Amino acid sequence: MDISRRKFFKVTAAAGGVAACAVAKPALAREAKEPDPNEYGMLNDSARCIGCKACQVACKKENKLPTESSLEDSLYDSPRNTSEHTYTLIKLFKDDKRGVSSFVKRQCMHCVDPACQSACIVGALKKQPDGSVKYDAQMCMGCRYCMVACPFNIPQFEWKKAIPVITKCTLCSESRLAKNKPTACSEACPAGAIVFGRRGDLLKIARSRIEASPELYVDHIYGEKEVGGTNVFYLSKKEVAFASLGLPDFDYRPVSGLTESIQHRIFQYFIPPIAVYTVLGGIMYYNQRRKNQAAQAQGGEEHE
Amino acid sequence: MSRPAAPLRQKFFTFNVAVLLFFIGAGVVFAYFRFFHGFASITNLSPGFPWGIWISFDVACGVALAAGGFTTAAIVEIFGQGRYHPLLRPATLTAFIGYFLVALAVCFDLGKYYNIWHALVFWNGTSVLFEVAWCVMMYLTVLAIENLPAVVEQYKGNVQLPGSLGLLDRPTNWFLGRADQVLRRTMAFFVIAGVVLSFGHQSSLGTLMLIAPYKLHELWYTPLSPLLFLTSAVSVGIPMVIFEATLATKFFGRKPETELLSGIAEYIPSFLGTYLLLRIGDLAYRGVLAKAFDGSLQGYSFLVELSLFAMPYFLLKRPRIRANGTFLFLCACSVILAVVLNRFNVFLIGVNPGNGYNYFPSVGEIAITLAFVAFGVLLYKIGVNYLPILEEQAPDHEPA
Repeated sequence: MDISRRKFFKVTAAAGGVAACAVAKPALAREAKEPDPNEYGMLNDSARCIGCKACQVACKKENKLPTESSLEDSLYDSPRNTSEHTYTLIKLFKDDKRGVSSFVKRQCMHCVDPACQSACIVGALKKQPDGSVKYDAQMCMGCRYCMVACPFNIPQFEWKKAIPVITKCTLCSESRLAKNKPTACSEACPAGAIVFGRRGDLLKIARSRIEASPELYVDHIYGEKEVGGTNVFYLSKKEVAFASLGLPDFDYRPVSGLTESIQHRIFQYFIPPIAVYTVLGGIMYYNQRRKNQAAQAQGGEEHE
Repeated sequence: MSRPAAPLRQKFFTFNVAVLLFFIGAGVVFAYFRFFHGFASITNLSPGFPWGIWISFDVACGVALAAGGFTTAAIVEIFGQGRYHPLLRPATLTAFIGYFLVALAVCFDLGKYYNIWHALVFWNGTSVLFEVAWCVMMYLTVLAIENLPAVVEQYKGNVQLPGSLGLLDRPTNWFLGRADQVLRRTMAFFVIAGVVLSFGHQSSLGTLMLIAPYKLHELWYTPLSPLLFLTSAVSVGIPMVIFEATLATKFFGRKPETELLSGIAEYIPSFLGTYLLLRIGDLAYRGVLAKAFDGSLQGYSFLVELSLFAMPYFLLKRPRIRANGTFLFLCACSVILAVVLNRFNVFLIGVNPGNGYNYFPSVGEIAITLAFVAFGVLLYKIGVNYLPILEEQAPDHEPA
């Protein structure tokens, strides 16, 4: 009897394992979200940027953000990284050996299929029809899974506050786009390095710039396809790889494809949980009935 | 053979309790700064490492190490191994305490902890965390129900409320009697639900980091991660029961239950074997085994993790090792450490967010984590002291 019991145990364990495998097996990524050419976005041209940081100042003014000084006198706004007080930042990437340097603007990419939106436990981060990824502080519970999920490390957290929330670039969605005004940073740019516009138009502009001076640009529009496409694009100087500007060679699939397909498989119509429940219930019933029968056969002599 | 469970009724304020209270007190001091002066005042968390040890240890390890509850319940109640029944109540109690602490730790980690109920109202089905939150909430409820019989058993028939509330003694007694009947009839439903819910969130914890393919090291970033989390949690269930039972024996001066523990330990190698097979098979299939030997911190960490899993697998296959209480305890510790290191690897050590970010827990973070552990131990002591959790032992026994 003991053997049959153990065999039963093993068989069910194996069956459970197989079922779990089938569930966990990576499905093909769910249908990719198609980029909408009418959504707004920006084109950041690293070859044109002169590093004046007017965009940084405009952003701080627009969003009423405090200055962050990394110098002793605290006179100048000089953040080293994007933070809860700095939504956008001009960074210098320098290659001393080859004597090449290049400025790059860091900010939210406003992804077509945002990882933060997929990750957010309450849906406080949502892609808007205007193209921006909007954050709702009222909904947020501050779990910071969006920060884990974002491949660009964009969402920031108010570490110094007792009741902190997430902060990030809004694409000036409510403060300016709603009033038919371009983003603050693009309006402030004196060099034409930040172009505001519709996603489809921006791609055309970027392509025409590359075609007009192929000797100046890398023949690639960063953000057209990376992580499923973004609404913020980058152009880079011929000698400067995107990766050295802090824009890694990401795959063209959205990063949330795997987690979402696993979730989807486990909870499709609740079939897997119900199936596991039924199997376990059956085993329990079988074992209890056998126990009762054994007890009856022994004339109730055994305890329990 | 089987004796009924009974409260220990030992002296409560011992030196050990004072030590626990000291750790809890230290945690409370740091918690003050966390809640009133922000994370920056006591933690080393950064934009690159928004999750520190409060998530990797208090939550991820806490959930995994509470797996003793559902594994024991499955073995005893579902697979009908009634001889291990004496282990069920302590395992269910520790699981409840474990999940209660997980929920509490989450509140410490959440920026807007008072919005925690939003997970009930605002649904985002694509979020792995959403699923984890629901499963943990429901399982915590199930665990509370599974622990109710011990409470009902303790007070049924001898309710003595103080003062004029004494009038309510009889209705309360009647209510407890009814509750006892209802619980007896419906417990099977909750036991199975507990196992299904555990399957759900134990595996989903493994899905969490899969949203960061460019941050998590290849040794741990695998589509099989949910299954590996589940199988490792199942593997650590019995070792946790052994670990707790051994410590309870030592600290409460009870007779060792070695025979019972070595009996149930027989299952461990098959669980560990399944896990190791999946783990190594996955690494080989993806062709990343070489990464383990590249001399990096992650590589070494993986090797230590794997050996902590593998050693008890080979040792516990031998009946002579299982029969020895000390070896059994050490093997259990090895599995526990393996799972803890694995969770640390997935949530911290194997994570590289780029931009030169790195993380090591601060004194404040460690103090709060230790306070949670101490609080858990204290709750367990309160539980076994005043409720019928541990089996009554023969009175002629001399404490060791």
